[in-house]
Amino acid sequence: MADTLLELDGVTVRRGIDIVLSNFDLSLDGGQCTILHGENGSGKSTVIEASARLLPLEKGEVRHHSIMVHDHEGRRKTPKFPFGLTLQSNGLVPSQTIQKHLETVCALSQSNCDLTPILESYGLSHRRHDKIAHLSGGQQRKVSVISGLIPAMLSEKPRLILLDEPDSGLDDSSIETLKTHINQLRSAGHAILIATHDERLFDCATSLHDLTNEKQNEPTSSEAWENIGTEANNTFLTTKMGWKYNASTLISIQRNWLASLIVIGALLTLVEPLSIEDQDVLLMGFVLAPAFTIGLVGDSVTSMLKEQRAIDWWRAQVNSIPNSNIESFLSGIILTMFSMQLFLQEFDWRIVFIGGLVGFATTFCLRFLQLSTMRLARTNAVFIRLLTPILILPWAMIVEYCVML
Amino acid sequence: MRVRHGEVLLASGFAGIMITLFLALKWAPSVSIDAFASPAAQRIFYWHVPSAWAAFIAFSILFLGSALWVFKRSAFGWRLHVAGSEASLACGLMAVWSGCVWGAAEWGTPWDWTDVRLNTFGLLTLLALFLVLGRQSQPDGVETRDTFSTFGLYGFVLVPITYIATRIWQIRHPGPVIGGGEESSLSSDMGLVLLLGAISFTILIAGHMVMSARITEYEQRLERLQNKVDGRI
Repeated sequence: MADTLLELDGVTVRRGIDIVLSNFDLSLDGGQCTILHGENGSGKSTVIEASARLLPLEKGEVRHHSIMVHDHEGRRKTPKFPFGLTLQSNGLVPSQTIQKHLETVCALSQSNCDLTPILESYGLSHRRHDKIAHLSGGQQRKVSVISGLIPAMLSEKPRLILLDEPDSGLDDSSIETLKTHINQLRSAGHAILIATHDERLFDCATSLHDLTNEKQNEPTSSEAWENIGTEANNTFLTTKMGWKYNASTLISIQRNWLASLIVIGALLTLVEPLSIEDQDVLLMGFVLAPAFTIGLVGDSVTSMLKEQRAIDWWRAQVNSIPNSNIESFLSGIILTMFSMQLFLQEFDWRIVFIGGLVGFATTFCLRFLQLSTMRLARTNAVFIRLLTPILILPWAMIVEYCVML
Repeated sequence: MRVRHGEVLLASGFAGIMITLFLALKWAPSVSIDAFASPAAQRIFYWHVPSAWAAFIAFSILFLGSALWVFKRSAFGWRLHVAGSEASLACGLMAVWSGCVWGAAEWGTPWDWTDVRLNTFGLLTLLALFLVLGRQSQPDGVETRDTFSTFGLYGFVLVPITYIATRIWQIRHPGPVIGGGEESSLSSDMGLVLLLGAISFTILIAGHMVMSARITEYEQRLERLQNKVDGRI
């Protein structure tokens, strides 16, 4: 008997002021494909996102491979086995190339593979080194769909696949390819949950669910998918990805460094460092101001991931998302060294190290504030930075401490 | 005829505050010239202390409302949260603004980033500003309520720190004038005006709570009716 890969047990989810899913049960075994269909607003995407641990539950719990991954008390455990996810809004990082993005998806599955045949089947192999931002809407959707299928394509063991409106924006030939892949993966023992209006995909389903009743369906028979992945070890993936996102886009330089350099420039226009040699606290404040500014700008990777809900895609897969921890520490060190030379004309490795810590800690706090408003409908409209003055007092205390060194 | 408690309380509180202001400026005894660098500015104290007192009450209501929403999903709790955040913002700004004016006259600077009470109280006011502006920027819903109520809960940690700040780290702020042991010093006339101010501000806060809770309830009813018209319920 096949293992149960997904269970929603008495799940109640509230969105806005309404309860959109009430006491909902769903069970999906390996080798099954359930299609959720129904009117707009009936809760299809809610089921997919609740299954992916993205929505807080009022009641009930979600289990992957019979292990609790999310419950109504707010517990979120990283799934023991990787799963595929295609969100309605793609969940891609536009500044990544197709190749790099799919390699990241493979790495999350602790596997490697030759992506060429998959990309060819969707007519994307010639664009593999292009940035996702340069693709058409339909091509971006294909990348998102492939990202959702890869964890199953690379695994001999049954994997869970969650696809939210995978057909949206796809041309007819891509829909046919998608149907073939779904049938092959289902035949190979993987479990697939799809939310869609497109009746062309109904042929793939072993059951059709309109969120009230579930009806059994006879799917098109197909050969089983043959695993194309090889095992690979990927530790510290989110830290590495944070570093890679920064290195490939130079977003920290563009946002955090620029603000810090402007602060240094502005301070230099106001004072001649040699004329205030006796004012130690003031000079030390100037030395540590750039590192503080780096953090106050916020975590650039977190901001970047908000595009196309990539941050949600990451949050579904792992509890710790890519971040700028390493960059903020290194940037704090480099800019403190620079400002020490400008304002003090000397070098003290202890103060340089503290500058690195200031950059890291401030960025960390700002990221915490950024992430704490993630659930809101309009995250950019919320005035979360009103709370950043909480960091001024600790920074002032660090400045005073550095003067005593 | 229905008695409108909110309006009555608001009007009474407002009248009490006006009387306090009048007594503070015209009747309350002046302090010793030697005690303050700017003795005339000391009269701001009759506004500053009661508004800070009222702000602490408002922060407590905000905490209570946030806790009721987070742990009980209580609609009444959310109404308390809304009213508490608005009152915290109003009273917090009054206390901060009057403190800045007094500080500029007495210390020569309106703000000191190293004074713990100034900073923690300022942060509480910023938190209230964040809650009020943030809530207005978002559609009402469980996501909005959960997020802001969580901030309301965590923000309350600052209240006891602010309260004990001058007892532990007396940097610029003077120590407690009431309930501070032997160091507390307040003449009976000064205490009377201060007491009147504190009572007036408390009544004003109570009036605001009643009014704000009623307005929030009307807003929620209106939204439900709109959803009914749209066929969403």
